[in-house]
Amino acid sequence: MTRRALMLAVSVLLVLPVVLLALLSVSRHWSWPVLLPHAWQWTQWRELLAGQADLCAVLLRSLGISVSVGLLATGLAFPTSRAVARHRQRGRLLALSHIPFALSPVVLGVALLYGFMQLGLAGHIIGVVAAQLIFAYAYAVILLSGFWNERVHALAALAGTLHANRWQVWRHVLFPVARPMLGVCFFQTFLVSWFDYALVLLIGGGQVTTLTMRLYGYFGSGDLRLAATCALLLLLPPLVALVVHHRLPATAVAVHFEVSRE
Amino acid sequence: MTSVRRRQPWIAVFVLVTVVPIVAGLVFMATYASGGIGLLSHGWTDAYWLRVLGDARTWSSLGYSFAVGLVSLLVSILVALGALAALGPWAMRRPLSSLWFVPLTAPPLVAAIISVEMFGNAGWLARVAHALGWIQSPVDFPDVLFTASGLGIIVTHVALVAPFLVLLFGRLERHLRLDALARVAHTLGASRMQVWTRVRIPALLRTAEPTLTVYGLVLVGAFEIPLLVGAQSPSMISVLIERQFAHFDITTKPEAYALATLYALIAMSLLLAWFGWRGTRRMQGHGA
Repeated sequence: MTRRALMLAVSVLLVLPVVLLALLSVSRHWSWPVLLPHAWQWTQWRELLAGQADLCAVLLRSLGISVSVGLLATGLAFPTSRAVARHRQRGRLLALSHIPFALSPVVLGVALLYGFMQLGLAGHIIGVVAAQLIFAYAYAVILLSGFWNERVHALAALAGTLHANRWQVWRHVLFPVARPMLGVCFFQTFLVSWFDYALVLLIGGGQVTTLTMRLYGYFGSGDLRLAATCALLLLLPPLVALVVHHRLPATAVAVHFEVSRE
Repeated sequence: MTSVRRRQPWIAVFVLVTVVPIVAGLVFMATYASGGIGLLSHGWTDAYWLRVLGDARTWSSLGYSFAVGLVSLLVSILVALGALAALGPWAMRRPLSSLWFVPLTAPPLVAAIISVEMFGNAGWLARVAHALGWIQSPVDFPDVLFTASGLGIIVTHVALVAPFLVLLFGRLERHLRLDALARVAHTLGASRMQVWTRVRIPALLRTAEPTLTVYGLVLVGAFEIPLLVGAQSPSMISVLIERQFAHFDITTKPEAYALATLYALIAMSLLLAWFGWRGTRRMQGHGA
């Protein structure tokens, strides 16, 4: 009985922040000390759903950047992770792939900015994608390196003995086997980009506006209603993935667990 | 030999995307901080380095970042283990098995804003406290955010990291069959506390060590949460670097680069030292 009560309390605690954001985004007046808003409004949601709001363009831009980063990182990391997994210096290469995470996005952004300016990438969407790709690609290599176990290598070798060429091995054996893992990898690298603020701030230099940039702007200017709307939009893709495909996040943790075992 | 050669292009891609930009960036920052390049460069100098190394703010910010990052990680581990112990099998059953994922859907920026709305002096918890008659006005609510103790940063980090650790530890428990091990230990006379301290916790921490190490470094270098809920001083290292870098006075740029290079070298050294230590430990394990 106590455990059931505790479970209920923890459940409420886990959901409460999202409910609070939803209330904030539709509140017109919510002054101290009342617990719930006393006047409501839906203007920005109506405009957003009708495709009229400025946030719509920002949302689409953010989605474009994150989908590009997710696809590029997953596409490049799949063959790379195999090469890393079969390399003599596998441990060292995996250690190197952890370095971007040790550096923090701010340090990486500061380090890259000058070079990106010289290449004409600063203040441009391509620059932001390229900078986020460094993190996302390294992350994808770490995630996917756990995929290349003895069983997968044996499957590829078996296809080879059946006279499958390299392309056929990739297309008909490795890719189908890896598809769930690639889905997780895309989702996670999409989130690496979707969640990013520091690299967009430094490399984008105010020229590239994403949802996180807009959220910071609204919050800084004290417009909590729009900040909450922006925050909910940021929560939307991972929440939808959680509801629609409840196995996906579970696999994501399994991947972390596989990495832990490496 | 042919197959080895065939794999090299992807290793080259790996080096090109991951290693080259970071090394190039570090060399650039170190050169700029040493006066080798830059708008105001008057030739090579160690003045900027000496200024950064002699500035108490550098060391207090570094120490503060490591302290806040490590305390956040430690508290997250304790909360996750506590939740697993208190909830037992309920922790990994529906609806909790799905709800633990909800905080993981929040970017750090959103988590920081939720913290402000929850723990601020006029936030939702303060309103609940007022409704219960515990406080009369917002100033009566204890300060959680923007404090030098870093309490707000730690609370927000824990809210994001602890649910992930619950999921990770829950899966590890199942994989390592810790329930069976716990039953054996119990049969051999171990108390419930001893089962946790001698069997479960060491097994979980040892297996999760790589994830925890990387998480620790990510928390030390955190930016968005300290920016929004941290104090002005002392500030976490990422915030200090960004502030110096974005400063209108361009004469502070070389110092910002020196500080960023210093932190990058410390963080990379720690990570690589940990990998080296782990490799040595493994070799000794295999040797034994």
